Amino acid sequence: MLGWEFPPIINGGLGIACLGMGKALSKHVDLSFILPKVDPSFVVDRVQLTGLDHLPLEQVRQITQELAAPSETLYETFAEVDRIEADLLPYGAIEETKGRREIARTETATKTLPPSRAAAAQIRYATESLPAFAAGELYGDDVHEKVTAFRKASAILADSRDFDLIHVHDWMTFPAGVAIKQHTGKPLVVHVHSLSYDRAGPDSRGWIFDVEKSGMEAADLVIPVSEYTGTIVTGHYGIDPAKVVPIHNGAEPVETYRTEKAFPEKLVLFLGRLTAQKGPEFFLEIAAKVLKENRNVRFVMAGTGEKLKPLIEYGAYHDVGDRFHFTGFLNKQKVNELLSMTDVYCMPSVSEPFGLSALEAAQYGIPAVISKQSGVAEVLTRALQADYWDVDLMAHHIATLLNDDKEYQHAVNASLEDQKNCTWEAAAERIVEAYESHLELSVID
Amino acid sequence: MPNLCIYFQAHQPNRLKPYSFFDIGRDPFYEADDLNRDILNKVSDKCYVPATKLMLELVKRHPEFHIAFSLSGVFIEQAEHHRPDVVELFQELVATGNVELISETYYHSLCYRHSGKEFARQVQLHADKLKSVFGIERPRVFRHTELIYFNELAHFVEGLGFEGMLAEGVPAMLDGRTANGVYQAPNVQSLKTLTRNCILSDDIAFRFADPNWPEHPLSAKKYAEWIAREPGDVVNVFIDYETIGEHKWEDTGIFDFWYHLPEAMADEGVRFITPSEVVDTCSVLGTYDVHAPTSWADTAKDLSAWKGNTMQTEATKKILTLEAKVKAIDCPDLLHQWSKMQTSDHFYYMCTKGDADGDVHSYFNPYPSPYEGYMYFMNALSDLQIRVDRLSEAGS
Repeated sequence: MLGWEFPPIINGGLGIACLGMGKALSKHVDLSFILPKVDPSFVVDRVQLTGLDHLPLEQVRQITQELAAPSETLYETFAEVDRIEADLLPYGAIEETKGRREIARTETATKTLPPSRAAAAQIRYATESLPAFAAGELYGDDVHEKVTAFRKASAILADSRDFDLIHVHDWMTFPAGVAIKQHTGKPLVVHVHSLSYDRAGPDSRGWIFDVEKSGMEAADLVIPVSEYTGTIVTGHYGIDPAKVVPIHNGAEPVETYRTEKAFPEKLVLFLGRLTAQKGPEFFLEIAAKVLKENRNVRFVMAGTGEKLKPLIEYGAYHDVGDRFHFTGFLNKQKVNELLSMTDVYCMPSVSEPFGLSALEAAQYGIPAVISKQSGVAEVLTRALQADYWDVDLMAHHIATLLNDDKEYQHAVNASLEDQKNCTWEAAAERIVEAYESHLELSVID
Repeated sequence: MPNLCIYFQAHQPNRLKPYSFFDIGRDPFYEADDLNRDILNKVSDKCYVPATKLMLELVKRHPEFHIAFSLSGVFIEQAEHHRPDVVELFQELVATGNVELISETYYHSLCYRHSGKEFARQVQLHADKLKSVFGIERPRVFRHTELIYFNELAHFVEGLGFEGMLAEGVPAMLDGRTANGVYQAPNVQSLKTLTRNCILSDDIAFRFADPNWPEHPLSAKKYAEWIAREPGDVVNVFIDYETIGEHKWEDTGIFDFWYHLPEAMADEGVRFITPSEVVDTCSVLGTYDVHAPTSWADTAKDLSAWKGNTMQTEATKKILTLEAKVKAIDCPDLLHQWSKMQTSDHFYYMCTKGDADGDVHSYFNPYPSPYEGYMYFMNALSDLQIRVDRLSEAGS
């Protein structure tokens, strides 16, 4: 597998998904990950992790030499190139990176090795970093260079390994997967967690769109994380539906608890990056509508992003500032505390490939009101749904859950049941089935 | 030859702590006690103590040196709590008889438009405070927060028994007339309005230490010459007391400037008079007709420093609308806490203006941005609402 994020070095949901999937899949296959960066103290049973920032010295020397040789750039491998200066961020809000990373570290603290074993692991794996991955963020201004370096380095590393298939995660790793396929002739599986369509809208075009499209075209099997994303893959990107097999993500079971609220009102929660994709403005409008009828409810918008300031002013404009609260960025512990007192979860995403947070909320027994433009709507089938723009219906759904105790209890039970089926084990089994049916590989359990 | 009327404003707000959503319903304490203490200490060491000592020395050396102060109630309260030495210095200065204390709302607030009753309560509370701390009778002259002024307010203030009121001399309102004197609102019986000379005041308050100002450095002698050349009966120089030593540090020469000012004025034959003396001696120059509120804040000189965006309007409205509920509960601490949240500074911190105004706002802002100022305030307000509701229910 080729990944871009892996705990504890994560930015969003991609790293979490790769870990969950990797752990479950390793029960069926021999699994080896190549990643731009790893934390040597973080080990996963039966999963071999190779970080380009922790390679044996000779390998670094060899790769650096080969990288220095003149060759085509990333784009030129599949397209004609005109160069324009641009400053693109693949997943939007970079400002969060640091904070997110901190959560990841606390989250995984229990899984890390004791110092002596960690040191041994370091000696075994880590001696030198490939220059491109020695410093900087995974999604910094130089992400293009990093993607290119990752492609070349992965292809070189793959040459010396024995494997049956290449499984890559999101566009950053697609060029590397394609390169390895070209070198080795091994089948390529591309896993689609998020598309430029989701992050930047249907009109988005540009090099990321092109990398995504060419990667999926070159693949033998495309696994979107939902039927919803599958329709975008086949429709918007024009990928042959015959090789597209949507498989829902799982969710790691978490220990949940309930906290008594310190205020009498009900609590409705929005959790996510404050970017256009997540539809935070819709949440605000929904809140304003609900509050017109019912003052006995508080809305919380947890997270940060480039829309925070305009949203705060918009909230004041709607005159809801004493019922609509912004928390800014929260660490995992605070997120859990918030979930433990939440009555209704609302996810009005404009385009959400999956939407793990709604599933996590369901683990807490919180009923969700979610947008139809989300993958998780296919899993939480009994959750109240509406088009993301239909704030009237969303507000109606929330009001129903807040006012009707019977309806509420029904929704709680439904979400608890629905989420039970969403395990990484189930996802891994489906992935293995897809390998067998689409790649003519037999995977021995 | 005009006289010179100097008035200093001293005020410190009770800044809020980073009050988060998670505190709502749990934490009934909203203020950043350490921060407020530290700022008071800093300003005391740089300004209140050395400047007041200087004033005491000036009064002793120049018996003709008269000045006026307005000390906000929340400032006196903070000083009593953390810096009794500052209170003692002010007491000593007031006892010289050369200092007039003028009236304002105890909480340095903006409540008039919402509730005349609450406004009057705060004015009375401030008068009571001045009496208990300084032993003085009710002041004769009033000034509203940041020199907010308009006809309707002038009429109301006259109704409270005041004889004079301070106002920003807004050029558009003066319409070519001099600010150096007293005017009258069209709707009052006899209340006199003292208009601030904004140019000569801001020469000290803003431009004093600006090396790009052609008049820099400003000496007491030069300033006295300017005053002496002014038309009118009295030049009203109204500034923040913190200008001396805090906004303008000692190394700008600000202490030296004040040290030499009485002497320089004497050389030019300019007399120092207090606002009450102005009211007693100056005749009304004409009508000062101000329909919409003016103030000395920002270049707009209106209420936009506190009510210029949706966050500010929502926050001011929501704190003030609690009045009836808070007053229905017989709890002095709750009333005090609610009143402290009316202090104008909370809304000033939420201002999102840019340019030079924005620089001034961010100089004073204890938060990373106006948005934090708003969030902390609204979270604390939410908690206050909950407590008020709980106490109302318990009482009924």
